Amino acid sequence: MTSFVLRRLLFAIPTLLVMLTAIFVLVRMVPGDAAQVVLGDQASAASLAALRAKLGLDQPVYVQYVSFLLNVARGDLGQSLSSGRSVIEEVGQVLPSTIELTAAAIGIGLLFGLPLGVAAALSRNGWIDYVSRVVSLIGLSFPAFVSGILMLIVFAIQLGWFPVLGGSGGRQSFAEHLRGLALPALNLGLIMTAYVMRVTRAAMLGVLTEDYIRTARAKGVGPVRLVARHALRNSLIPIITVVGLYFGTLIGNSVLTEIIFNRPGLGKLILGALNSRDYTLLQGLMIIFAICVIAVNTLTDLAYGLVDPRVKYS
Amino acid sequence: MKARIMAVMLATAAAFSVAPLPAPAQAAVLRISPNGTDIATLDPHRAVSTTDQSVVAWIFNGLVRFKPGSAESADLEPDLAERWEASDDKKAWTFHLRRNVKFHGDWGELTADDVAFSLKRAASRDTSTFAASLANMLSVEALDSHTVKVTLREPDASFLNLVSNYRGGYIVSRKAVEALGNRFATSPVGTGPFSFVEHITQQRVKLAANKAYFRGEPKIDGIDYRFIPSDSSRELAYSSGELDIFYAKREQKWVDQARRRGNVVVDIFRPGEYRTLHINRTVAPLDDLRVRQALAHAIDTAQIERFVGIDVGPRGCSVVPDGYLGSDCSYGAYTFDPAKAAALLKEAGHPNGVTIRATTSNISAHLPAMEIIQAQLAKVGIKLELNVVDHPTYHDQIRKNASALVFYGAARFPVADTYLSEFYASKSAVGKPTAVANFSHCAVADAEIDAARHEPDQAKQIALWHEAQRKIHEDVCAVPINDILQVWGRSSKVDYGYPLKGALNLSLPITEVTTLAER
Repeated sequence: MTSFVLRRLLFAIPTLLVMLTAIFVLVRMVPGDAAQVVLGDQASAASLAALRAKLGLDQPVYVQYVSFLLNVARGDLGQSLSSGRSVIEEVGQVLPSTIELTAAAIGIGLLFGLPLGVAAALSRNGWIDYVSRVVSLIGLSFPAFVSGILMLIVFAIQLGWFPVLGGSGGRQSFAEHLRGLALPALNLGLIMTAYVMRVTRAAMLGVLTEDYIRTARAKGVGPVRLVARHALRNSLIPIITVVGLYFGTLIGNSVLTEIIFNRPGLGKLILGALNSRDYTLLQGLMIIFAICVIAVNTLTDLAYGLVDPRVKYS
Repeated sequence: MKARIMAVMLATAAAFSVAPLPAPAQAAVLRISPNGTDIATLDPHRAVSTTDQSVVAWIFNGLVRFKPGSAESADLEPDLAERWEASDDKKAWTFHLRRNVKFHGDWGELTADDVAFSLKRAASRDTSTFAASLANMLSVEALDSHTVKVTLREPDASFLNLVSNYRGGYIVSRKAVEALGNRFATSPVGTGPFSFVEHITQQRVKLAANKAYFRGEPKIDGIDYRFIPSDSSRELAYSSGELDIFYAKREQKWVDQARRRGNVVVDIFRPGEYRTLHINRTVAPLDDLRVRQALAHAIDTAQIERFVGIDVGPRGCSVVPDGYLGSDCSYGAYTFDPAKAAALLKEAGHPNGVTIRATTSNISAHLPAMEIIQAQLAKVGIKLELNVVDHPTYHDQIRKNASALVFYGAARFPVADTYLSEFYASKSAVGKPTAVANFSHCAVADAEIDAARHEPDQAKQIALWHEAQRKIHEDVCAVPINDILQVWGRSSKVDYGYPLKGALNLSLPITEVTTLAER
């Protein structure tokens, strides 16, 4: 397994290089002027030129590119153009919040999506199946900002169970912290539930018609054992794929959730960097996103081997 | 579309929420939310955004200050300086400082050395974003521990404006700046009614009452400044009792609904963002005065005022906003007269109309107004092709002279010179090395603008500003559209301690007299 991981990391290097180049080019293709954002709209042309020179934005593109690659190789993602703080520091302050929200959303997705998917597959074309499919369709088609506002109206304003300003930071008890996390995690988790439910149902429907399931039934294996031991385990590979695949999507979707529920996070940070044309922060964030996605893909590949002994790490 | 759906949902929420929910008893900390995502810096000489400047205003003082609740420079009053005198030629200004003014924490007492250091720092391009506004300052010297003398290169009758509690006028602690270095931007030290406690990224800034404040201990315990970028979430947080004051929607519809609901006090104040349509005189056919006049007579600003709302968006008249020192509209606004506009076009050799291309921002403060103007111009045969881009791209494009018309909203220091120099002096024309924001390439009032800046007699200075506005009006460099005033919502339990008519940094001057009744 160690050699497999090392090989995967080695393969990731050219991927990372292509990706770094794409990030560098894309960020610079975005029209706008970081110096203008930093100095405001009353800045004179001379002040803007001086700041551009100070930030190295007046250097030839190839000089900026080489310097960018060397800095990334050293683990230096630079300093935010607007705040002056290091990108690592900026990300470090909000990353725990994003990981917490994403993990909670995936947890909710698995907690509700797996049993709903199994139940739907077992009662194919029955009422449970129809209800589950309708619920998942709603989950997929409801924009996060609509469901978020609805949740706030019902659970925070009308019932008063949760605060509007979740994830407020500062000194909070664990219970207060969980109360703040509940609604945003549920909002993001609904989408994950819908994905997991649909893929679980489809995978289970395929597995339930396999010969070994019929044989197990013929040998008198009970329904719970049949589903948990034989059917669900063999359906896990597509489910793991979906969870891994939608990790990035969840981070993307989290922007709206972070704004509506006023939580700190990478999504809000990347949006702010884009609006302020903070190139250094923007490219730093994209690199971190990309590294996260590569890491999750590697973990997903490793997980295949854990759930299916037939998968070899070669 | 998203904004519309959110507006409907917000209206639903408002209908359900009868009154703010009670919150548990706690210290009298005022909970305020602007519309920003976070602060960038709390260094007063670097803070540009409204979100940053609000916090800076609560932490720092200037030598003089705008009377709380006023944005009129005629209302300047002593702050850190208890008195001052100017030489007859208005080139030498001597300030006598208050005694026993303490910086926050253990940073000691304010001295003339701190003031001299601060003004030099604010005037340096290396340490200040506002260096250009203090370029006229030749020297600053501490005459004794509590007396400072500023010598100017050219006379400036309005110099007090530059040492007020706004932008480059804030006084910092020399010891703190030198000891903290770059960390001063995240651990600011001032003399104001509130001192910095903590900043949590994307969440909040906490300030504590400065018990040693020279005007007396504040009546509230502190300020919790929460960053909530979503309009809907801010209002829901107010409805749930989690906020006391919030930045509201600058829409008449919202103002009317809030007043009907009655659970929020609506504060509308100046300065607004004055919106002007700059006409690029270097682009054909706008290089022809008759076409510019036609365009001005084709725009019905009353319709735009009705669209935005009479309370929130009063229409403009002069190219310098109403309420600014030296603003004058004695010549009257351009009249809405489509027939005259069509006739002028015909006279200019365009009987079948003209086509104009303009870049506009997609933000809600710009695009709807530009679409109205587009429809109005179409009625007289002026086809306006809009290139709609995101806001940072718009700022980039308009400074590259890439738009024939520039719809621009701005709030500036309330003196005519700021507007005239930035938008209508030829040296500020976009594309020049000295460019600022003269999008029209207006160059008809340079003599008056320059002469006024160096005129020590204020009556003569104002007369020169009036003449400059008349000339700009006659040359149709721009069409004043309307103001968009500041709109905030607050709980009736909050009393600012003064009538709120204006706030120069577009936020709320919370002071030592502001009170918060028990929630």
